[in-house]
Amino acid sequence: MRRTPRIGWLLALLAALLVCAPAGSSAASKKRRKPAKTKPTPVNFDVKLPVLGTRLSSFPPGEGKTIADQACLACHSTDMVRQQRLTEKQWAASVTKMAGWGAEVPESKRDALIAYLVKNFGPDNDRFEPVVTRPVGR
Amino acid sequence: MSDSREPGALPPLDRRDFLLLAGAAMLLSAAGPSAGTIPASRRRMLQVNGYATDAETPLDALTTYITPNDLFFVRHHWNPTYQNVGRWALTVDGEVERPLRLTLADLKKLPRASATCVLQCAGNGRAFHKPVVPGVQWKYGAVGNARWTGVRVRELLDRAGLKGSARHLHTFGADKPPVRVPPFHRSVEIEKVLEDGIVAYEMNGEPLLPLHGAPARLVVPGWAGDHWMKWLTRLSAQAEPQKGFYMETAYKYPKQPGEPGVAFKPEEMTPVTEIFVKSNITEAPAGAKVGTPAVLRGFAFSGAPDIAKVEISDDGGQTWQAAALDSQHDPYAWRLWSFRYTPRAVGKITLIARATDSRGSVQPKEAVWNQSGYLYNGWHSAEIEVGA
Repeated sequence: MRRTPRIGWLLALLAALLVCAPAGSSAASKKRRKPAKTKPTPVNFDVKLPVLGTRLSSFPPGEGKTIADQACLACHSTDMVRQQRLTEKQWAASVTKMAGWGAEVPESKRDALIAYLVKNFGPDNDRFEPVVTRPVGR
Repeated sequence: MSDSREPGALPPLDRRDFLLLAGAAMLLSAAGPSAGTIPASRRRMLQVNGYATDAETPLDALTTYITPNDLFFVRHHWNPTYQNVGRWALTVDGEVERPLRLTLADLKKLPRASATCVLQCAGNGRAFHKPVVPGVQWKYGAVGNARWTGVRVRELLDRAGLKGSARHLHTFGADKPPVRVPPFHRSVEIEKVLEDGIVAYEMNGEPLLPLHGAPARLVVPGWAGDHWMKWLTRLSAQAEPQKGFYMETAYKYPKQPGEPGVAFKPEEMTPVTEIFVKSNITEAPAGAKVGTPAVLRGFAFSGAPDIAKVEISDDGGQTWQAAALDSQHDPYAWRLWSFRYTPRAVGKITLIARATDSRGSVQPKEAVWNQSGYLYNGWHSAEIEVGA
């Protein structure tokens, strides 16, 4: 006898779930018959976040900034460079590689560029923090 | 005991009934670690490059078996020439009897094939290599698990009449590098793509997003992301591997471990192929109490088809206890896992996770350092504060 009430509640819960599902889809099918308006996109993220693909602000000021702008920003946003923490030897190797691939690094300004990169993005600089953005395509 | 209720009315709930109903509701709402959804507060990306876009998924958003499309990590070599789907076609040529040119509509008429598996960037975890190495400084989240649907590469090559001379499948995408930068052209061993490669046009049941390689990309289960060519335009069967910077110099890994910080010579390296066994902790309690169980969760994956076990240590790796593996799994997909940890003493405790795959490979304490920072898979740990 004690089982009956419990089963009753369980049946009620299941019935409520079953009733809710068709009710939702039936409402949706009624909507579909009307001329389509813009489909509402559920907002399930913090809309104050920047969109993915936002470019960071410019390189830090200082001697060498102009040549860094010229050499790096044709192919990268500043964060590709800002996240590196490389030694002078590693930056020199990167500059050689990138110049070979077409980065504008006049020989007369090569040392100034490397010095700028080591000063601002060397092993002892503060840790880089990624930009927190919205989900992809939102 | 008399019952004064109306006929057909439901009886009042007693405590046992309430517990029973609550249990049933819990079962319906969250069947296990893989059944949850990701709350709005965790739905975000960590952008490491604005242009061309690179972004990883925060660990606390990698808590579901299927990684949602809009939370899946994004990696670009170069900005793509986004494909006009109406004009797009995939060419299949090279060592074949009948070269093919297939539109997206043509592809969709062919038998559909799906695989649920992990995609991980070869450089995921690069930021943890010491000494530091140049490149995108990925930490944990250049990885995700998705259901990829499209056409088997075998189906395409069978239709084209693959010749016996073909050993490598050269892959070309629509991304165009600037100035004198080498193009991102790659090739994959023909045996691997014949076994389980897919040209995918859907990701988790939706058309591929442009950022993930629309209209179609290559899927190579168990292998690192450099093989998963995006914005695919051409597959060419050839006798020799593809040449160029991204085959001959990049995506090489040392054959044997060396001294961290000492660059390997070209002859000491071999191409990156399978991803390495790895486990990450996605959820750990900030605080816990002695004698009270606390739950740790995470995922584990490998270039082997399955994960055999995940273990947790609270003593720096001297002893290990098995975590519970979730039942949901597909070949080369990840396993979600959970572990009930009961602290025995107050203070800061470091919990370490390590995975072992179905071939017996065990996740090492430290990854092999290499100058490109590929395939980092050292132990991942979480620190918890235990109170009285």
